[in-house]
Amino acid sequence: MAFRDVRQFIEALDKVGELVRVKQEVDWDLEVGAISRRAYETEAPAILFEKIKDYPEGFRIHSGSLGTYRRLAIAMGLDPDTSIRSIYEEYERREQHPVKPVIVDNGPCKENIVKGEDMDLHHFPAPMVHDGDGGRYIATWHLVVSRDPDQGWTNWGMYRFMLHDNRFLVGFPQPLTHLAMVLRNKYIPAGKPMPVAIVIGAEPLTTLVASATPKIGVEEVDCAGAIRQEPVELVKCVTNDLLVPAHAEIVIEGEIQPDKTAPEGPFGEYSGYRGGGVQLRPLCQVTAITHRDSPILTMSNMGILDECATAWAASQSLAVKRRLKSHGIPVIDVFMHPQATAFMVIVSVESGGRKIAEQIGEVLTARRAAISKIVVVDRDVDVFNLGQVTHALATKCHPARGIIVIEYEGKANPVTPCYSDEERKKLKGATAVFDCTWPIEWSVEYDIPTKSCFTDIYPKELQDKVLKNWTNYGFK
Amino acid sequence: MGKEYQAFIENIKEGEEIELNIKDLTSGPHKYDSRMVKAILFSSPEKLPGGDILWIRSRSGFLHPSPWAIKITQELGAYVHQPPYSDIG
Repeated sequence: MAFRDVRQFIEALDKVGELVRVKQEVDWDLEVGAISRRAYETEAPAILFEKIKDYPEGFRIHSGSLGTYRRLAIAMGLDPDTSIRSIYEEYERREQHPVKPVIVDNGPCKENIVKGEDMDLHHFPAPMVHDGDGGRYIATWHLVVSRDPDQGWTNWGMYRFMLHDNRFLVGFPQPLTHLAMVLRNKYIPAGKPMPVAIVIGAEPLTTLVASATPKIGVEEVDCAGAIRQEPVELVKCVTNDLLVPAHAEIVIEGEIQPDKTAPEGPFGEYSGYRGGGVQLRPLCQVTAITHRDSPILTMSNMGILDECATAWAASQSLAVKRRLKSHGIPVIDVFMHPQATAFMVIVSVESGGRKIAEQIGEVLTARRAAISKIVVVDRDVDVFNLGQVTHALATKCHPARGIIVIEYEGKANPVTPCYSDEERKKLKGATAVFDCTWPIEWSVEYDIPTKSCFTDIYPKELQDKVLKNWTNYGFK
Repeated sequence: MGKEYQAFIENIKEGEEIELNIKDLTSGPHKYDSRMVKAILFSSPEKLPGGDILWIRSRSGFLHPSPWAIKITQELGAYVHQPPYSDIG
């Protein structure tokens, strides 16, 4: 049974020792960030900060929601010790069955409705997450709802937003994201503001799907219903027609301005670095704020081993797998290792060779090229086993012939740390494909070396005998 | 005593009036509130006795170890009149 809201999820985490309640007063100005960052890096439990300096009792911050695979498993209703492979398989299975949302008349997110002169974004304990960030980032683990005015489909995305002042936010929907494309192609040319709703503190799988890439034709909210295995309840906004999760903690309704910007960034990002610099970015004027009593502000302290490294990487891996399959590539598995922070993907294929590796590179750089390193391995390499992948990379990737570099402009990932300012402005970059597969023309009899491992270099009968007698030999 | 501000500046010019974005460092919930101003910068607080302090960070967030001083000459409002993404190639 799906969690109704983030509060139920927090209770569930607490029951299995996956939550620390920090009752001591903490400062929203860097202290919350420092504690949560260390917690991610030491794989400590998620956190509920219950007393925040400058803020009344009841105003809380929750960090680390899906920062480990254990917590992702809990969110999905699985055993916390479910293997990563099994989590991926279950996510992939559920994705096949979209579930439409249910529209309700009211919801807890409307317990408090604030409009006009009473609106003040400082009402919430938005943290200064990292030293040197451009501002207080109120939206780091959230979803942003927007709509294409002509085609009518609703987009959910996760784009960071920071406080600018009482009534303005400034954010970074990357130029090639759905929201940015609609803003650039429709609202800006028309000189019209774009209605949005920034939803903070929705149930965790609902939030996760905002950053996922569902199948073409499937809206994110339907995918959220699929992963939850229950429909998401939606309620209409107060100042626009967008629909938002009814059980969210905080909803900031606003309009992204077609002709105004403000400096945004830098921000310690999922890449594991504070980068990207300061740029003039989209400005959102707030039109209403609604929230639950004693609201919980959910945050992701982006950096090494954050939600992007685990939960988001899972959804992105499956999106990559789906895309490769749709292009006829014989893919078996796809995995983004947490330490690779979604910049590198490992792909195993039924049959490899340079041509397959090139095709994989072309497919994954055709539109938005978020991934800059692709490691292609044969079917006998378990993509979830970093040791096996490293062995394949070290021994099978020809240093001269095995690395395919695809350069491009207009579609690179501007958050990539090794790109220069100039490259980021032009969205210019490259993707390297490491072909760690045996050449297709090599034969088993004469060319492909036998792997010197137990399962490959000993006769089957002898393997069976050794395994049968393993404890007799004195091993445990 | 003057106020303290922070700004992200790449090419710092002393003595010239420039437009910049400043963030208020006054303690409290409104710390880091942002606005656009015209101002003249001085390379040390001693050059502007009783004036406001400006902590400078590079575009990537690196904090300069010593503060400058800032004399705000005009308030320009909350934002810049420029469409989003106009600087993207």
